[in-house]
Amino acid sequence: MHLALIDWCIILLYLVGCMAAGLWMRRYIRGVEDFAVAGRSMDLNLGIASLAATELGLVTVMYTAQLGFSHGFAGATIGVIMAVAMYLIGATGFIIEPLRQAGVMTIPELFQKRFGVKVRWVAGLFVVLGGVLNMGIFLRLGGEFLVAATGMPAAWLEWVMTTLLGMILLYTVLGGMLSVLVTDYLQFIVKGAGIVITSILVITSLGWNNLVTNLWLCFDGTMAGKGQILKAHPFNPFDSTNFGWGYIVWQMMFQIAVVTTWQTQISRVLSSKDASTARKMYRRTAFYFVGRFALPGLWGAAALVYFSQHALPAELTALAPNDLSLRATPAYLGLLLPTGFIGLLLAAALAAEMSTDSGYLLTWATVIYNDLIMPCVKKPLSQKARLLITRALVLGIGLFLLVYGLWYQMPGNAWDYLAVTGNIYLASVFTLLVAALYWRRATANGAYAALILGAIGPLTFLVVNALASSANQLSAHLPETLSLSQSLLMRFHQAFPNAGAIPPAVAGASSFALAFLGMFAGSLLSRPALATTPPKTEVPA
Amino acid sequence: MIGLFVAFWTIVIFLSIAWYGILLFYVGVKGAKEIRVLTKTLAQEEKADKT
Repeated sequence: MHLALIDWCIILLYLVGCMAAGLWMRRYIRGVEDFAVAGRSMDLNLGIASLAATELGLVTVMYTAQLGFSHGFAGATIGVIMAVAMYLIGATGFIIEPLRQAGVMTIPELFQKRFGVKVRWVAGLFVVLGGVLNMGIFLRLGGEFLVAATGMPAAWLEWVMTTLLGMILLYTVLGGMLSVLVTDYLQFIVKGAGIVITSILVITSLGWNNLVTNLWLCFDGTMAGKGQILKAHPFNPFDSTNFGWGYIVWQMMFQIAVVTTWQTQISRVLSSKDASTARKMYRRTAFYFVGRFALPGLWGAAALVYFSQHALPAELTALAPNDLSLRATPAYLGLLLPTGFIGLLLAAALAAEMSTDSGYLLTWATVIYNDLIMPCVKKPLSQKARLLITRALVLGIGLFLLVYGLWYQMPGNAWDYLAVTGNIYLASVFTLLVAALYWRRATANGAYAALILGAIGPLTFLVVNALASSANQLSAHLPETLSLSQSLLMRFHQAFPNAGAIPPAVAGASSFALAFLGMFAGSLLSRPALATTPPKTEVPA
Repeated sequence: MIGLFVAFWTIVIFLSIAWYGILLFYVGVKGAKEIRVLTKTLAQEEKADKT
């Protein structure tokens, strides 16, 4: 372990402060409205802190640092695109303004106003499946960061993350969004300090010119056979070795869908005092999302340069390239940061994990309660019973995550599954949102068609890519040993050798195109059955 | 051309560090005030509910 007494004191102080603040807020919970959307009383700066804290988790740090390690500084391009998307949405109020004015607690609730209760239920199911499965990877990746940065035994990972989740569940179950807001604020401060200090230490230790020059040397072939090599252009994202034009254009569309549709982000819009506060919050938080990619990306790029000039630690030498790119940054930070600073970094890492997990747990529990359970309940429930159900749901999701994401080892293709479920959610729900708010002719049949086509697209790509992968494996076998179905697959593969292995940009863009096509065709081929005026007025929940 | 990209990322990274530092203090001070107002309002509402 790399930790000294001072490091432990910093971590302990942070955990005690955070738990005390979270538990203190539970006294103000009177009903589900307070629990789920903080009584819609969140002001601007608390909103900025909460939005920034929730969307910068330890899992984010891991994958953005990985992008820095494998794509250089250009890996932060996605953050720049996301910031532009957020600013544009904040400046225009596109989707978020009418959504906040509709006075709903969740996105699917809005769909009931336009398309009826069944569409709300089906959309709620898509939102929950996409969201909860996406969250399944958080605990393990966060734990791997802590193991690599502290040097603690890998066998402790499950127990440390289980304890951490227990603490998160305690204040989230009791205090709901009010606890999440206050703890997010503390976590924003701790995490911000950790990120700024770590970034300054990384730059001063390597030197800016040295970092830039050596990143280029890792790419241009000078380091081949001597140290780490970079396959992607470290500075130019448009270069064919890096993301390329197609991926960047796709990301521009994708990030607009993310910032207007991802329920954890939208729950801050719905908790804000009014639509104007929500728009300001988006504009002022926009640039934070550049740093969300650029600063951990800087650490990743620095790790690459450092391990080009120094030997890899023993625990990293046997790793496959993908695993190495994921674990190199925390290992580098563990070696770089002096006593005291490593404690601050770990407090920041815990803050990142806790703020994201609590926000996500609450959000998905609220959707299950609001859009899957309440539409099926015939008799009105008491305030106490509703609150109890929501709290039980937070606890239930927490337990599911513990088993699914931490103690159960996911098979390799589960990662594809997670990507696909996320895409199904974003493509279909974004289409429904745009149509519900801006297209008077949209109908329930159009909504169903969008949901079905938005799901069929990504699932087809999953199957096609799996078949292509099987065909590649089968090509090593003798034709006589193959079954009939395997022979047919091989013949198809020989006739169309380029079929399969569809790039993510094509797969993602097609899902959106199919969902929009479904909404358009389904609506025009059916009669509007419900009120067709887009919901604009505030209504009591 | 590479020089332009390097300059762009240099500005982006240093501005990000500065922006995080500024937000840390600005949101730190303003957010604390907002938490005080929020808890006061909630406490008053709770009292009003009881009476």
